Amino acid sequence: MSSEIFVDAINGLGAVVLLTSIFLVASKRMVSFVRTFAVQSLALGLFAAIVAYHMGADHIYIVAVLTIALKALIIPTFLTRTIERIHVKREIEPLVGVPMSLLICGGLAFVGYYVSEPIIAGGNAITKNCFAISLAVVLIGLFLMISRKKAMTEIIAILVIENGLFLGAISIAYGMPLIVEIGIFFDVLGAVLIMGIYAFKINQTFETLDTSFMRRLRD
Amino acid sequence: MQTNAQILFQSMIVLLGIGGPVSLLLRRNGPSVAVSGSVLSLISSLLGIVVSSIVIIEGPLDLGWEISTFFGEWSLSLDPLGAFFLLVICIVMACVSVYSIGYIREYEGVYDIGVLSGLSILFFLSLVLVVSSTNVILFLISWETMSMVSYLLVVFENRKNNVVSAGYLYLTMTHLGTAAMTVALLLMAHYAGSYSFEEMAGGLDGMPLATMSAVFVLLLIGLGTKAGMVPLHVWLPAAHPAAPSNISALMSGVMVKMALFMMVRSFFDLLVPTEHWWGLLVVLLGCISALLGVLYSLKERDIKSTLAYSTVENMGIMLIGLGTAMVFASYGLSELSAFALLATLFHALNHAIFKALLFMGAGSVARATHTRNMESMGGLAKRMPYTSALTFLGLLSMAAMPPFGGFVSEWLLFQSLIQSVSVPDVPIKMLMSVSIAVLAITGALAVSMAVRLFSSTFLARPRTEAAERAHESPRSMVLGMAFLATLCIAFGVLSLWAVNFIDNVTSSVLGVSIGSDIAEGLTLRSTDEGFASMAPSLIAVLLVTSAAIAWTAAYTITKGWKERISGTWDCGTPLGPRNEYTATGTADPIVRVFNTVYKPRSELRTEPSASPLIKKRLFYEIQFIDIFEKYLYRPVAKSFIAIAKRLSIIQAGSIQAYLSYIFVMLVALLLLFR
Repeated sequence: MSSEIFVDAINGLGAVVLLTSIFLVASKRMVSFVRTFAVQSLALGLFAAIVAYHMGADHIYIVAVLTIALKALIIPTFLTRTIERIHVKREIEPLVGVPMSLLICGGLAFVGYYVSEPIIAGGNAITKNCFAISLAVVLIGLFLMISRKKAMTEIIAILVIENGLFLGAISIAYGMPLIVEIGIFFDVLGAVLIMGIYAFKINQTFETLDTSFMRRLRD
Repeated sequence: MQTNAQILFQSMIVLLGIGGPVSLLLRRNGPSVAVSGSVLSLISSLLGIVVSSIVIIEGPLDLGWEISTFFGEWSLSLDPLGAFFLLVICIVMACVSVYSIGYIREYEGVYDIGVLSGLSILFFLSLVLVVSSTNVILFLISWETMSMVSYLLVVFENRKNNVVSAGYLYLTMTHLGTAAMTVALLLMAHYAGSYSFEEMAGGLDGMPLATMSAVFVLLLIGLGTKAGMVPLHVWLPAAHPAAPSNISALMSGVMVKMALFMMVRSFFDLLVPTEHWWGLLVVLLGCISALLGVLYSLKERDIKSTLAYSTVENMGIMLIGLGTAMVFASYGLSELSAFALLATLFHALNHAIFKALLFMGAGSVARATHTRNMESMGGLAKRMPYTSALTFLGLLSMAAMPPFGGFVSEWLLFQSLIQSVSVPDVPIKMLMSVSIAVLAITGALAVSMAVRLFSSTFLARPRTEAAERAHESPRSMVLGMAFLATLCIAFGVLSLWAVNFIDNVTSSVLGVSIGSDIAEGLTLRSTDEGFASMAPSLIAVLLVTSAAIAWTAAYTITKGWKERISGTWDCGTPLGPRNEYTATGTADPIVRVFNTVYKPRSELRTEPSASPLIKKRLFYEIQFIDIFEKYLYRPVAKSFIAIAKRLSIIQAGSIQAYLSYIFVMLVALLLLFR
């Protein structure tokens, strides 16, 4: 295969990651929210696999497999089951309306490109476009955390941020050392489990997952 | 000799370092831990007395152990200046630890006395570290340990009213001081390129004068807070009385002196007083502290608050001396500077001794009467003969009566202030002479304060039942006080020897020895020959012989007289304790004279009866407004609270709001530094 196909494939998968992030912002139902996240993680895994093939770096394969297994399968399943168990309302209640959110996301994608421009201008890595995307994804993840009320959406938002960072690490440095990656995976898994339990507890205590109710904890 | 001294110093540090934590761990067996803790501090302080005397006579001593850290070598070392203050610490500590054996029993079963004992040992250790640290960072750590441990000791009786709030005030003020001091010391370390005091002493040449002045002011704020310098004194009259009395003795006698120690070290060793206004500022603040301290001490009814304000006064006197020494040094008059510094250090020693004694006396009295209010005491001289006699000796020293130590050091201080005629600048000469007047009036007021304290506490008849039932304190408490009372006399009568001893210290700081100039034969004199001289031991002899003659004369004259006992003429109403002069009444003339300072708000209420001529009861209430609290601290606190209320809008309590702060900040930073 020629390198152009690689560049296309890599850019295409990068675009999928960005688009799924924007989808997350736009989605109004909890289940589709989790599924979109699974798709994003799958795209990310494939992205890692292609980079691994292109670079001939074996350890990135392991990372790719782990990404798909963990973020595309295990975590979404766990979260879906948690959602079912605590009978959370299916609707996501955004603080900022969807059209406005989409506009802001467009702006954030722009910020990502604008900020990363001086960094990627000099480099000749085939993944350089993806760095801008990764920044945009991190920012969109942060925005998701701010603009959505439910604890469950915040958990996914933090995973989106993690995905963005992962994308950035692979696109700039072709991944971190394997041991670090594996460490991060376990961290993410542990974090999700703990946050799931907390969501459960918050629901028990406040009978809602709406974090704006936690305002009462003030003073 | 030096190696022996080193071993003694090492064993002292090890004893304290192990003793403190161990007694905290074993605190469950309260009484036995308390007794062994006191014995341990007694042994360590005796070791300290030996070590510091050797250092003062023979020269500096290293501990011999070092720890290498990121901030240079951490080690302990005693130079004559540090050793002098170690001597002060250890003398007071030795007596306090004897006193504590009896005193601490009062808390048995009420508070955890094991903790009190363990913390006292840690407090002792931190004091030792403060005077012997060779490194800025180690010094700051020791200083902060000293402040924190003393805070814990202040709030020891935490179930009593006002104790916790006094502790909180102390904590706030001491942190303010430490903050200012940290900035100053780190600035000096930055310019000197080293964290070691020794290298800093010679390495500040590159520092601009403006920075040096800023460092000086910061140090003055930081150390002045600990010294109880007006207007940073507010914590002292609250915190010192709140602590258990043995701790009050240590805080007032020793801890405030640590500020003086560091002032001498940093103003003379590190900064070198070159600017005239530095010394003048210190003198000015000293004058204000001395005058206001003694005036406020006259209005207090709480016996320990009176003593605490008197500490403010005495620190003011020491600041006057220190400032004078700085002024002289800035004109290159090093002999006069050494004279003033010597007087200051001697006064520090005397103050440590008599103030510790007085606080211990107050502790005994409070223990016997279960109150600290002088208005409900009275008549204790008969019930507590030893305590009252020993307190009397301490009060005499405080009131600068010959031949006590306090008299000699204040005399020396007066002489050195009078020498300010040698300063070439006329305006400064005139300003300095004002401080002589301030010192004189302070001395006079201190006498009336001593009279007031003694008469309303110990003389006349008991005013309450509690005072009537009072009885003498245990032997160990009396013994602890007796040591200090003996020293009060000894440092007066033998002051020639003491002056020569302290001369070793000042000469190590200023490089000029004046001991042989001012102490000659039996007389002490001013550096200016033929100006003034005084023989403390002859005065003592004179006093004792004239007292003996007077007694013999009175005895022989009245020998044949017949004794007749009858009641006092009382206008037909029986005289009782209610007819006695109260503490408030004694101070009333002074309160009237200094109306502008006190701003008293008095109220007289009467309970009427059928006849307009007969009143059933009279109520008299007098309140004093603390001008510093009203015009300085209240407004500052109010504005801080107002700002905090404004800022509390950003504390919305919503997670999304907090996250968006981070988010906005992140995006802004990214755009700014792309």
